[in-house]
Amino acid sequence: MKKPNYLKGLRVTLAILIFVPILLFFVDFAGVLPDATSKLLHLQILPAILSGMIGLLVFQLVLALLFGRIYCSVICPAGVLQDIINRIFCIGKKKKKGVRRFSYHKPMNILRYAIMGATFGLAIFGVIELCTLLDPYSNFGRIANNLFRPVVMWTNNLLAEGLSKMDNYTLYNVTINNVTLASVLSGAIALLVFIVMTVFRGRLFCNTICPVGTLLSVVSRYSFFRISFDKEACMHCGNCEHTCKAEAIDSKNLTVDTSRCVDCFNCVSSCSKGGLQYRFKPFYKKEENVMTAATVNPIQENSPSRRSFLTTSATVVATLPVVPALAACKRKHGKKWPPIIPPGAISLERFKDVCTGCQICVTQCPSHVLRPTGMEYGFDYFLKPRVTYEVNSYCNYECTVCSEVCPTHAIKPLTKEEKATTQVGIATFFINRCIVKTEGTDCGACSEHCPTQAVHMIPYEGTLTIPKVNPDLCIGCGGCESICPVRPMRAILIKPNEVHKFVEKPKEEEVKKVEVEDFGF
Amino acid sequence: MLAINNSQPIKQQNKMKRRDFLKTSVVAGAALSLNFEGLQAALSSNTITVEKAPEMVAVMGGEPEVMLDKALEALGGIGNFVKKGQKIVIKPNIGWDRTPELAGNTNPKLVKALVKKCLEAGAEKVTVFDHTCDNWQKCYETSGIAAAAKEAGAIVMPGNDEKYYKEISIPGGVSLKNAKIHEALLEADAWINVPVLKNHGGAKMTCAMKNYMGIVWDRGVFHKNDLQQCIADICTWQKKPVLNIVDAYRIMHQNGPQGKSAADVAVLKSLIASPNIVAVDTAALKLFNQVKKLDMEAVGHLAKGEALKLGTTNLDNVTIKRIKI
Repeated sequence: MKKPNYLKGLRVTLAILIFVPILLFFVDFAGVLPDATSKLLHLQILPAILSGMIGLLVFQLVLALLFGRIYCSVICPAGVLQDIINRIFCIGKKKKKGVRRFSYHKPMNILRYAIMGATFGLAIFGVIELCTLLDPYSNFGRIANNLFRPVVMWTNNLLAEGLSKMDNYTLYNVTINNVTLASVLSGAIALLVFIVMTVFRGRLFCNTICPVGTLLSVVSRYSFFRISFDKEACMHCGNCEHTCKAEAIDSKNLTVDTSRCVDCFNCVSSCSKGGLQYRFKPFYKKEENVMTAATVNPIQENSPSRRSFLTTSATVVATLPVVPALAACKRKHGKKWPPIIPPGAISLERFKDVCTGCQICVTQCPSHVLRPTGMEYGFDYFLKPRVTYEVNSYCNYECTVCSEVCPTHAIKPLTKEEKATTQVGIATFFINRCIVKTEGTDCGACSEHCPTQAVHMIPYEGTLTIPKVNPDLCIGCGGCESICPVRPMRAILIKPNEVHKFVEKPKEEEVKKVEVEDFGF
Repeated sequence: MLAINNSQPIKQQNKMKRRDFLKTSVVAGAALSLNFEGLQAALSSNTITVEKAPEMVAVMGGEPEVMLDKALEALGGIGNFVKKGQKIVIKPNIGWDRTPELAGNTNPKLVKALVKKCLEAGAEKVTVFDHTCDNWQKCYETSGIAAAAKEAGAIVMPGNDEKYYKEISIPGGVSLKNAKIHEALLEADAWINVPVLKNHGGAKMTCAMKNYMGIVWDRGVFHKNDLQQCIADICTWQKKPVLNIVDAYRIMHQNGPQGKSAADVAVLKSLIASPNIVAVDTAALKLFNQVKKLDMEAVGHLAKGEALKLGTTNLDNVTIKRIKI
């Protein structure tokens, strides 16, 4: 008797409830979704570790200990993305070819533990590059920001064009300006890796390369609720094995490798006889075939597929950074100043150690001043965002969005007050380039845009006035730099503070009552 | 009730003027021979004043919408400027992410009242936009202008993307020979320029002429090629505003154009309206001078505008009606 399988339905429903808001948050170029949507990003394990949210990490681990790697099938957007890729691949194919194409493989324990060890080990010493490159959430972020978002924006522009003909400006035209060549390549490579791995080997990424998956596998190995065979009911048809994306079911020996099982429950659905069940079966209740094959008998032989796979995965991991890095290297070279880091990042060193380049800040910045970098600032700043004012935009005086959404707290949450007094850099004025001096005409665009009047106009020649910077008031928002019309080198530039400083809030002037009786003309 | 009573004579007067205009332009000579005075006499016997509408009206002491009413009444009614079925653009200053109290932008109440007036006059549609300096959505929202304009029935159009701007040539310009202008204006039958009076770090004063910088895409070109000259140049664009209405309810007398705090603001409760853009700015400058000293020479675009025959800086040559409420 086939029992209706609520588990898979529940898994899919929960996954949709979490994945869809995250995806929309990344592609939301208009700021429609509330910033609180970022709370879903704080559920992600690697960001939770980096932001020091121990409670959340413990919660995730307990969840895995109780129910297995639900995280990988429900919470992790990269996991759900792989399921979607798998689903798309299955469309139009007969069950046998599409859905049931997987087969049991032994776990690549050495490789996966080595990758996890290296990733977390290096992170402890402040080398975070492997986290940046391997964190599933950050990779999903880069895919969403660099590939999905532009598609959404193009579609919007097409619709906006149509609507504007009817005098409807609910949608408006937008320019895609927050991606760089390096970031697009990083997103494209990540997506390609996901597609290739998913199509050929299911959740291989999650079970071999992903450090978060491996971390959870250590716990889920002992999970209380798990999938196991009901030997009485099993007909040895092998359907379950061929459905298992994690390649964790060995239908010959009737074992399920719980360390790799991502709780998708596809196998439970695939068995019409109820031969596989998700039930309470703690590890201490010793029973044969419950322990994972891997722990029971370590593999000795070196199967050809395994060897080839070791090499492919190693190549993949190795090439992940190289291509975008090369692309970026070609474009820019020899920049004198370090990058400007967003307010709340505190210091360049700290920021480098915590940011994994998920680019959610880039997508959320209403002023579009954040850009993902390539290798311009070295490998340790690879794919992280920098603040740039070359884009004729500047950091809004009262805006704290990036600090609110950052899941790793690489950009720490700031109040409006704190933001308005955080000095990320100082405006530096080059008088010999200034139009007022070179052309002898009025300009003052810089002072016009200065929210603190740190850049103010002082008398120059005749009725002309020229800008002057008061460094004690400047917060480095870039209002001045963004609008300075001088090219190729602007006459006023923000010199970054490697360690952020704090300025006094501009003094509130006394409001004087002005009485005017007459027109004056 | 009062409003209905008032609108009647204004309408008649308007009809009169339009008819006059047609006659003079199409068959000028013949029209003169047709007893003009007779018509006017007929009107005056109907107890309607036929005194020539002033070129400029200055109002002081009321709320924005009340002052607008008075000013338009003195100018012969909105129907003198907005005709039935026309597409109208109202161009306020929405440059900054500032609340109305900080006077960074045109007063939303004024914009709202003006939109209503235009629609009452039979405008087919009224569009409001500005090319903002701060993030456009924040400006539109914080200024209160988007909400006010929509409430009154206007279409609020974005100005955030280069796509909305089309290249046109400025044959009369000295430094500026061409510019990309917002398509709403290019398509409009008439537009009304509604600046707010402010101190300005670069141009020294921003008012009606400087408000033109919000209709173009590339402002950097202005700053690069003699700001004061470019401001005057852009005002020579053939499609001139039918009316300039200066919002001086609150003015920003220092730290402009963005302002830092309420200390930069003076409440003058004034409004100046005129089709003559140089004259209206000159008058605004004189009003401004009562709060902060500012030399006319410093506001270079006024003299440059006069040189380009955009209007006069000599207010003695302008008929002004001053109204105090």
